[in-house]
Amino acid sequence: MTTMLTAADEMAAIEQLHALRCTDGLPVIVPTRERVNRLILATGLDGDMVLGNMGPGGGIATVEKVAVAAVMAGCLPDHMPVVIAAVRAVIDPAFDLTEMQSTTHCTAPLIIVNGPAREACGGISGGFGALGPGHRANASIGRALRLAMINIGGARPGESDMALLGHPGKFTYCLAEDEESSPFPPLHTSLGFAPHDSVVTVIGAEAPHSVLYSPTGEVAQDAQRLSKVLATGLSNIATNNAILRNGAAVVVLNPEHAGVYQKANLTREMIQKALFGLSFHRPEDLREIGGGFAPKGDDRGPIHCFRSHEDILVMVAGGTGLYSMVMPTWCAGPHVNRFVTKRVELDIYCEVTFPNQTASV
Amino acid sequence: MVANLGIPAVSLVTEKFWPQGDFVANSLGMPDIPRVRLPHPVAGTGADSMRRIAESVVPDILEALRKST
Repeated sequence: MTTMLTAADEMAAIEQLHALRCTDGLPVIVPTRERVNRLILATGLDGDMVLGNMGPGGGIATVEKVAVAAVMAGCLPDHMPVVIAAVRAVIDPAFDLTEMQSTTHCTAPLIIVNGPAREACGGISGGFGALGPGHRANASIGRALRLAMINIGGARPGESDMALLGHPGKFTYCLAEDEESSPFPPLHTSLGFAPHDSVVTVIGAEAPHSVLYSPTGEVAQDAQRLSKVLATGLSNIATNNAILRNGAAVVVLNPEHAGVYQKANLTREMIQKALFGLSFHRPEDLREIGGGFAPKGDDRGPIHCFRSHEDILVMVAGGTGLYSMVMPTWCAGPHVNRFVTKRVELDIYCEVTFPNQTASV
Repeated sequence: MVANLGIPAVSLVTEKFWPQGDFVANSLGMPDIPRVRLPHPVAGTGADSMRRIAESVVPDILEALRKST
């Protein structure tokens, strides 16, 4: 049974939602019955279909409730298949959503989109400024997930979302891989999917850390130096990846940096192995800086940040230039900060237009 | 979880996390679950401090367990 709120007009409704702490602080689109029904229709699913329980509060995520969050976020019907997939990813037990919300670490779910959904679901950008403002699908889809986490999961700062400060990715954090600019196979094909599959890969992550490298044109050395500098970001001794270890992390190569590796004939797996090998610390360095988390005992060998090279996701996105990005992670929780992949169901999607739009058939 | 198995249980929650304790207890449908309030922080204050804090809350823990049986 859905409880309906009432308000005198649009502005009063927005104020009411703010007052009820249902927003992320930014203005929302008021979720009227009509608007919510339109987005439910677009999913091709029943509104009362249960996707699962959403931590930390254990709220039941129905398609209808997710559609409410998506309306509030400003989503178009086209975005819905990706929103549904992203919600399913975070409520998968492997994602450890409750633990993720409860930690004091700043972690936020990063949504990486691969496959035909990038075009089909509103044109999700993997190009210039893909993690910044200006891309409606990126902004709305990421925000829909966050509003679902607030209103279904019950995550509110200081009482159920315990991030000490958080980071702006907690408003929205969604991009596509630029598969067309990438010399490597698309990310999702390295994770067991076919190229024509549409997939979201969701991982709790810090804000992106910029990594600067200016190639000199010496092919082998450029690749080695780029790996060294990316590994510095990945093994940053101030991060949980260095101190708590064994979590996953994300590397976003801009197309020029991807080209550095391509010229040196390196595959994704070779890059991951290189980064894995370079991401370590001496026990004495960790003991010096680790405080309460310093390694005990007489370990002499290098202490690696990652359990496996496969825990380092390498993707290509962004405008072309001198900067790539690394996203360190929290590295805790029962599944130790795994990334979770979910198929985006495009086949059941219903094309829905807004009243003043003409259908594109 | 332990309390639901019928085993008496007490939650130790530090001052700064008390509102989260409220949230979790309410979400799980156990608003009156016994909780003991600790000063914040406990973690990272060193073994001596943690021992002192532990000793100071033992009476509260015993009281909470007595009340819950």
